[in-house]
Amino acid sequence: MVAKFFHDTYKKRDSAETLIDAALGKVVLTDDSPTANGGSEDIRITVAVHGGKGSIRQGIIRKLVVRFELADGLHIYGAPVPEGMVATEVTVKGPPGFATQDAEMPPTERLHLDMLDTDLGVWSGTVDIVVPFYAKGELASETRPLDADEILIEVQVRYQACTDSECLLPQKETFTLNLPMDVIDVPGLGLHKGHGQREGSYSSAPALRRLMFRKIRQNPLSLPKYLWKNMRLERAARKRLRQRG
Amino acid sequence: MCQYFGKFCLAMTMTVERDEKGFDAPAPLGHPGRAGLPQGHPTGPEIGEKLPDFELPDTNGRMVRLHDDRAGAKIVLVFYRSTVW
Repeated sequence: MVAKFFHDTYKKRDSAETLIDAALGKVVLTDDSPTANGGSEDIRITVAVHGGKGSIRQGIIRKLVVRFELADGLHIYGAPVPEGMVATEVTVKGPPGFATQDAEMPPTERLHLDMLDTDLGVWSGTVDIVVPFYAKGELASETRPLDADEILIEVQVRYQACTDSECLLPQKETFTLNLPMDVIDVPGLGLHKGHGQREGSYSSAPALRRLMFRKIRQNPLSLPKYLWKNMRLERAARKRLRQRG
Repeated sequence: MCQYFGKFCLAMTMTVERDEKGFDAPAPLGHPGRAGLPQGHPTGPEIGEKLPDFELPDTNGRMVRLHDDRAGAKIVLVFYRSTVW
């Protein structure tokens, strides 16, 4: 067992990308993710929404990934830090109903500061800070059409990079991302009414026909078996009706 | 479809209430279908433990043993509660 995912409500579930990342043990960003870039030559920052082309979909938890790529010799800090230093921080803001969970920080390495005689938690190389987010009822509800086609989110990143001997000035950068809202389609059946933002008329007959042909091709005996079983069921049903009078 | 479910169906389709977590659903608050996992409910093997072996039929009816038949590959086990969307 490498990961387990549970939520406090059935209204939230993990995206396929989260499951793949858990199996791979790393976040693999794709080219179709909405992305913003910043930082400098030595500290490259990429802010991207992972999975589903960055779309917000009712019920799915997507992940905002802030990736730092630090040049050799540089590190940034995890909380807590002594007074005067800045720990790495990511804040995400969106419209009403845009909800975030606690940021997932990778484990830090220990760095001993001789001057202060203290140990600090640092990151070097490539660092991914992940902020899971999802839509509540105000933003995307299963019981009404979507209010907007896309939303704007603001990501604020605060950090301070240092070498073993000197520190650069603390930085604060703000990124914005446009995220498309994804419509949930459901069949327009009475029982499904109110379970999606768009109700349509779909027929499952072609899919059922393909399934039956496949089953018969795999095992030709399944057709007479199916017909025989059906005949017996119908005969039993007629018999029950006769007995009831 | 609703003629088969009567009042239950009416409750499922007509009542829309927002719960304390900010989610809407076409079922009243307190409906068992809207309940989450109770606090402290056991959730099976822990991270790092080996899953117990089991055997289930695949989509073609062939029996598959979890540990013997995956040839060392990783698996994703999904227990999915909803069939609606």
